[in-house]
Amino acid sequence: MKKTAIIFRKELKDTLRDRRTLVVMIVIPLLLFPILMSISTTIMVKQRKEAEVKELKLALIRNDNAAGFLDVLQKHEKIKLITDIPEKAMSDAIREERIDFGLVFAKNFDEVVASRAPGTVRFYLKSSRETDLTARRIRAIMDDFKENLLSARLDEMELDRQVFEVLAIDKHDIVTAKERIGEAIGGLLPYIFVIFCFVGAMYPAIDLAAGEKERGTIETLLASPATRMEIVLGKFGVVFLTGLFSAGMSILGLYIALQQTSGIPEDLLSALIKIIDIKSILMTFSLLIPLCIFFAAILLSISIFAHTFKEAQSIMTPMNILVIVPVFIGLFPGFKLTAVTALIPILNVSLATREIIAGGIKPLLLAEVFLSLMAIAFLSLLFCTRWFRKESVIFRAG
Amino acid sequence: MIEVDKLSKRFRLTKKQKREMGVDGASPYIWPVKEISFSCRPGRVFTLLGPNGAGKTTTLRLIATMLKPTEGSIKVAGLDTQREPRKVRARIGFLTGTTGLYGRLTPDEIIRYYADLNGIGREAFIKNRQRLFDLLDIHPFAGRRIAKLSTGMRQKVSIARTMIHDPEVVVFDEPTTGLDVITARAIIELIRRCREEGKTVIFSTHIMGEVSLLSDDLAIIHKGRLLYNGSFTDFSAQCQSRTIEDEFIRLVQEA
Repeated sequence: MKKTAIIFRKELKDTLRDRRTLVVMIVIPLLLFPILMSISTTIMVKQRKEAEVKELKLALIRNDNAAGFLDVLQKHEKIKLITDIPEKAMSDAIREERIDFGLVFAKNFDEVVASRAPGTVRFYLKSSRETDLTARRIRAIMDDFKENLLSARLDEMELDRQVFEVLAIDKHDIVTAKERIGEAIGGLLPYIFVIFCFVGAMYPAIDLAAGEKERGTIETLLASPATRMEIVLGKFGVVFLTGLFSAGMSILGLYIALQQTSGIPEDLLSALIKIIDIKSILMTFSLLIPLCIFFAAILLSISIFAHTFKEAQSIMTPMNILVIVPVFIGLFPGFKLTAVTALIPILNVSLATREIIAGGIKPLLLAEVFLSLMAIAFLSLLFCTRWFRKESVIFRAG
Repeated sequence: MIEVDKLSKRFRLTKKQKREMGVDGASPYIWPVKEISFSCRPGRVFTLLGPNGAGKTTTLRLIATMLKPTEGSIKVAGLDTQREPRKVRARIGFLTGTTGLYGRLTPDEIIRYYADLNGIGREAFIKNRQRLFDLLDIHPFAGRRIAKLSTGMRQKVSIARTMIHDPEVVVFDEPTTGLDVITARAIIELIRRCREEGKTVIFSTHIMGEVSLLSDDLAIIHKGRLLYNGSFTDFSAQCQSRTIEDEFIRLVQEA
């Protein structure tokens, strides 16, 4: 094993001097989330502010009804009232962005309301995520107006509002914020670190085997007293470590992003930080270790088979999909960690992480996931070492 | 000492490889080396001469234990390559013309790496390193990364890497291929020095000039079989053609 350590040290030094590997292993996972979260929250906050101060252009046709509506409008700021657009032209006016909304009170609105029936108001809008924020303002105006009409009607009927409150629900939701958020975004976390674990291990794997063939250094290494097993284990150790480190960096990056990004609602932020607690991280990492062994062994086997750096890359790149699909399936709410799904590699990590984050994983299932991953990791490593002994693979013609 | 006895090596080819190599027949196998026997003695240079694809590299890879023989046996320094491959490798230095180096490491780090792999002690390492670095004038660039060095400098580092554990057997696989004249000359000098130091040297080539310049013993290999095996002096003496090169071509064409 002494020679394995010598090879490991040399390969690690060589890998850590490779800029491309450092970028994929450290820079991208560490900075991706702070940058993404910073950009998205900045845009969200900006959009919200713009929506709050934006002058709303409201086309109104009252048909000599709803006089009280004008009083309500006066209480709200930044509303530009437009009264010269006929109802037929309102849709086009919205599309052409000449107005934001259109309101048309029915000709018999006052009469219907007076008869204690609901008065009709036609509301023209173009719903989109962008107009959602401004639509809230117009809805607030409508709610105020509706409240005024209702109060007047109840007064006229000499009725107390409480007459209509027949049920007082005292809700006790036992789901904690951690569980709720774990269920909602828990699947997203493995999506992040499983992919970084794979991508982080990819370049060193290519460089340490296919790269070695391409450089012409493989022969001198094979002619040294190190055995094939010692060589492959030394290389494997580095590929495994870079994958694990890359995954760790992505979690650290997420933590930094949560700490640094302003604009996240306080309750959500505290729940998110609770999710990334030491216990959850350690449990997740216990699953990541065998997964990393599995990835490292598979990637190294492909790289050993490939004749050149380019060939290895062309085989590995489409494999990203094979990693993403099971993680993505784990995001679906219907999929649960069971005795069967605990045996499916990658998907089991995705589902188990979701349950770890939600704080409700069953110890037996966690053990099953860990043991099944260890089994597949061991088999893949065994395959890799045997593969490296095959002359037809090592000296494969291009 | 290297003793090769009735050595054969068989490779299995895929259909694609057979098509690309122009191999006919239903058998999926080819024999790049078939029943060859020769011996290389200490203090002499043994040349393995043959055209491209003759089986030279396969033979040298078999000697260096990178490949396992299908039939026959090889002994290096008295050790059987199949029974004690690790000990054999510890006694061999291996160099090819296309040998690469790790671009992100320095000559010092590379030499240290191969010294550690060969398990040489600290004192022996310091002594051997000093001797090789003086001889090859590596000191001025010992701390610079390989990627920043010229081809000539790199070849010097390759030589130092091959010799750092002071091997008793040195295997050169077409060591001057693709090198400029000055660098090739350094390799020729190294081979001569190895002979003077009493090492067993085997080198493969297809360059006739190198054969007459270095050979003590010669084996001509073609399609995996030996066409000649004996001393270079005898080969020259029994030459039926005008030049050694013509004789080599005659033998290959008659085979």
